[in-house]
Amino acid sequence: MATETPFKGLIPEFDYQKEMDRWANVFKLLSEPDPKVGQTPRNEIWRKNKSVLWHYPAKQKKYAIPLFFVYSLFNKPYILDIDPQKSVIKNLNDMGYEVYLLDWGTPGYEDKKIGIDTYIDKYLKTAVKRAVRHSGAEEITLVGYCLGGTIASIYASIAEEPIKNLIVATVPIDFTTFVGPEKWADALKNGDFNLDHFLDVYGVVPPKYVEMMFRAVGAPIYFTNYTMLLNRAHDQRYVEKWRRMNKWTLDQVPFTGEAYKQLGNDLVRDNKLIKGEFLVGNKPADLKNIRANLFVISGSRDNLVLEEQSKPIMDLVSSEDKTYLCVESGHVGLALSGLFAGIVDQWASSRSNPLFK
Amino acid sequence: MSGKKPYDPFESIHKLSLMWEKQINDFIYLWTDNKEYMKMSNVGTEINSRYLDALKKNQEALASVLNLPTKNDVANVASLTIQAEEKIEALEEQIWGLQDTMKTQSKDIESVVEVSKEIIKLTKQLKTELVKTKKEQIDTKELHAELQEMKFEIMKLTNFKEEFESLKGLIEKDKGVERELAGSGTSK
Repeated sequence: MATETPFKGLIPEFDYQKEMDRWANVFKLLSEPDPKVGQTPRNEIWRKNKSVLWHYPAKQKKYAIPLFFVYSLFNKPYILDIDPQKSVIKNLNDMGYEVYLLDWGTPGYEDKKIGIDTYIDKYLKTAVKRAVRHSGAEEITLVGYCLGGTIASIYASIAEEPIKNLIVATVPIDFTTFVGPEKWADALKNGDFNLDHFLDVYGVVPPKYVEMMFRAVGAPIYFTNYTMLLNRAHDQRYVEKWRRMNKWTLDQVPFTGEAYKQLGNDLVRDNKLIKGEFLVGNKPADLKNIRANLFVISGSRDNLVLEEQSKPIMDLVSSEDKTYLCVESGHVGLALSGLFAGIVDQWASSRSNPLFK
Repeated sequence: MSGKKPYDPFESIHKLSLMWEKQINDFIYLWTDNKEYMKMSNVGTEINSRYLDALKKNQEALASVLNLPTKNDVANVASLTIQAEEKIEALEEQIWGLQDTMKTQSKDIESVVEVSKEIIKLTKQLKTELVKTKKEQIDTKELHAELQEMKFEIMKLTNFKEEFESLKGLIEKDKGVERELAGSGTSK
């Protein structure tokens, strides 16, 4: 609806209907409770400390080899099941895959000594064993997203469990490239900026600090998400999407001190994963031990994990079957849009022992 | 409605905000991207850590005097729970191992039972064949006895034949004597 004025041509037209929709949606957004997330039916298979292994049964099982998702330690994994329409997990279930997801949980002060190696050795390894036993499958496909991809790759390099396929998306492997300002990277690498004492005292990095860290690296001042919302608030679908994304972005989890030290010192500063020097227990995690079929996905618009941080894994593994794909997407967009399910299916369908040929 | 795009102030606000945000962030990076800033941040973090460390130590000391549990005590209890969880987990895995062994053993037993069933079946078959053979043996014995009888009969017949032959010889002899006797009677 637009009004006719005597000064037509001088004063621009104003779409009152659009404005009413815009402010009605803004009001709804401010007054309604948070949107529901993680609505795909699931069963708890195993629980240890705060970590839970979830099983999402397939609508009609079409593949013998199940998918096992490992998500990042920084955020909550419900991004993979954020919207019933675009849920990565639900879509994979509909495509006939049995899906397992290891939710690391929210660590407390008592978990300050849990490092990346402990997460792999005491949590991920056991969870994979449980998933293999629960599914009755002889092999499994490991799917890692973001830091979860790094963890999945480290685990795959020392695993005794039968991992047939390894899929990693937006994964940081080579930390030579740093996404923040150059001098920050120098200070971290030469020890001018050291967080060890801070981490020892705090035990776990509070979620607000984790959020600040990401903000500092990406955009210290960030308000365009709100102006973007105001701009497109008349579109109900966009508002719904924004609300879910906003909820997830602000829903950070604490990071254990030991894991942060290993990430900062061993992976970022010393780049031990590339050199094959990162230790899990007493085993060196050498990526050349990976023989599973490998699929690496990067986002061309990802400004948090760059392509050059993911690509080196292609040359480091011993896998004969390896594929690299760069998609037109940002760091989170791949999961948020649900695109990830289709990409995984395209590659994994022929490698997951289809039950019906 | 004309074909002209209606006025949308928020589109301009968004475009401006994108520019401002980029400029502010670029300025912050320009301002902080130096060695001194990083050293200053390091000192700031260290001061904060030392202050918090001292506070914690005092809190621990006071709590121990007042016999109050601190966050560390709670953390220690929580770690005991995790240890218990790990032990249960290990036990569960051992039970899995036992279950797997039992499954393998029961499979072995099943195969032994299958073999035994085969053996029983074979034994029964052999038994049936033995009964049949015994019956055949009895039949053979009866046949043998009949054959013996027949042999005896044949022997008897042979004797009869011999007697008959000797009788025949005697008759022939008698006939010769009779003829001789008859011949001598006519010549006189």
